[in-house]
Amino acid sequence: MKKTFLHEQQLKVNAKMVPFAGWSMPVSYKGILEEHKAVREKVGIFDVSHMGEVIVYGKDALVFLQKICPQNISRLALGGAIYCQLTNNEGGIIDDFITYKIEQENEENPAKYLLIMNASRVDEDINWLSRNSLGFDVVIDNQTHNYSLLAIQGPFASSLIEKMGVKKEDQPNYFSIKRVQLDTVSVYLARTGYTGEDGFEVLVRNQFSEFLWHEFLENGKEFGIEPIGLGARDTLRLEAGLHLYGQDMDEGTTPVEAGLSWSISKNKEEDYNGREIILSQLGLKNKNLYPKKKQFIAFEMVDKAIARHECEIYFEDKQVGIVTSGSFSPTTGKNIGLGYIDFEKSSLTSLNKNPVTCGTTIQIMVRNKLYNAVVVKRPFVKKNVKI
Amino acid sequence: MEQRTAPEGILCAKTHEWVLEENDLCICGLTDYAVEQLGDVVFVELPEIGSSFSKDEVFATIESVKAASEIYAPVAGEIVEVNEDLLASPEIVNEDNWEKGWLVKIKPSNFSEDSASLMEYDDYKEEIV
Repeated sequence: MKKTFLHEQQLKVNAKMVPFAGWSMPVSYKGILEEHKAVREKVGIFDVSHMGEVIVYGKDALVFLQKICPQNISRLALGGAIYCQLTNNEGGIIDDFITYKIEQENEENPAKYLLIMNASRVDEDINWLSRNSLGFDVVIDNQTHNYSLLAIQGPFASSLIEKMGVKKEDQPNYFSIKRVQLDTVSVYLARTGYTGEDGFEVLVRNQFSEFLWHEFLENGKEFGIEPIGLGARDTLRLEAGLHLYGQDMDEGTTPVEAGLSWSISKNKEEDYNGREIILSQLGLKNKNLYPKKKQFIAFEMVDKAIARHECEIYFEDKQVGIVTSGSFSPTTGKNIGLGYIDFEKSSLTSLNKNPVTCGTTIQIMVRNKLYNAVVVKRPFVKKNVKI
Repeated sequence: MEQRTAPEGILCAKTHEWVLEENDLCICGLTDYAVEQLGDVVFVELPEIGSSFSKDEVFATIESVKAASEIYAPVAGEIVEVNEDLLASPEIVNEDNWEKGWLVKIKPSNFSEDSASLMEYDDYKEEIV
């Protein structure tokens, strides 16, 4: 089992540790509900050092990145960030990640990009990136084991960062990254996260992560900082309507099917893996050649039951799909979930004529009983990001 | 959270339920260890009054934020009362698992035999370490 550089510190603050993607990770400290609330109302610190950091550079870095995802990386300015999917040749999602442009090209050097990827997928990602790099002058540098990643999320995150030495006006804007000095430590400070709150992800060399962890906890006291585990990370991201790789999407799901069309560049000219299928599903090219096989939905339970991962979704007495994430939502007090309607299974119902829209009533099978739920818009909790 | 002690005379199952026999009825709840492992309880599904269960049969479901856990009948019998307070306030299970957070009262059908496989609290504590 791999341990992050903060493992000892976790035990000191009474973390309950669980295995996750080959790492021993904190699932909770004081309790998921209390931690969830701390992030929504104050500020939380997460050790997410298990995440993968891959630096891509070289003369062909941009052309290479254009080939591996449906997003348009050429529109990234220095310090910019884009939410991306690594797609296979069928348009299926190998992983989702954020690409940051961390160094500008100049006369001597081409640009450098940082890719932050899912811990459970780093090996697969590196394998796919390497196979796709043939013929390109590009270096794929897996730095996962040299860096720690701390997430600082919540309404007081910006004030805490200011107290640690970066004035608000000097902090990166939403979805961008800056190299800064945080309390004498040089870090990459990105204004991104996985909670639906304003916040930061701090990429720091392993040898300084313990020092920073302490400084954050110490300086964060006046803001009510709490360490947050994977349990609350999951409820926070679910309320924000964000996908969890391996549950809400996988290699058999395209970004269009996963409800991520908003993230795809519609006018990107370069070819990329899975482009034919993705453009067809978007209706931009060969409209009916590669139809969508499923539709991503968000729902709220109407009846009293909690839908969980792998519960069946019913419509007009037929099983039409499956729940991919479901939980009690601490902020709304409702039971919420994400899932897919399988078009093949739903073809015999009136869903076929009327695609599932907000307000459609469906049923969820929980312990062999059907409970009503209603399809709603994502996110379940409005993003608290106003920058 | 305030540390409460287990009531005198309770018997515990390996599956982390406790029973206390009083006036021919068994009050049943979850042990402190079970509650600690579950974390925040957000939903409790209790059986219908009048339904019967055999020993070790699933009779209730407790859901924490993360997952649903099945609760097994520590003794066979008929459900005569359920703790309805838990339906509106499931967090009582976390706050007071020994008293206010009881789950059901069972009229046992075979208590002397069923209780033979249950442990006294101190033995249970040793068993689960």
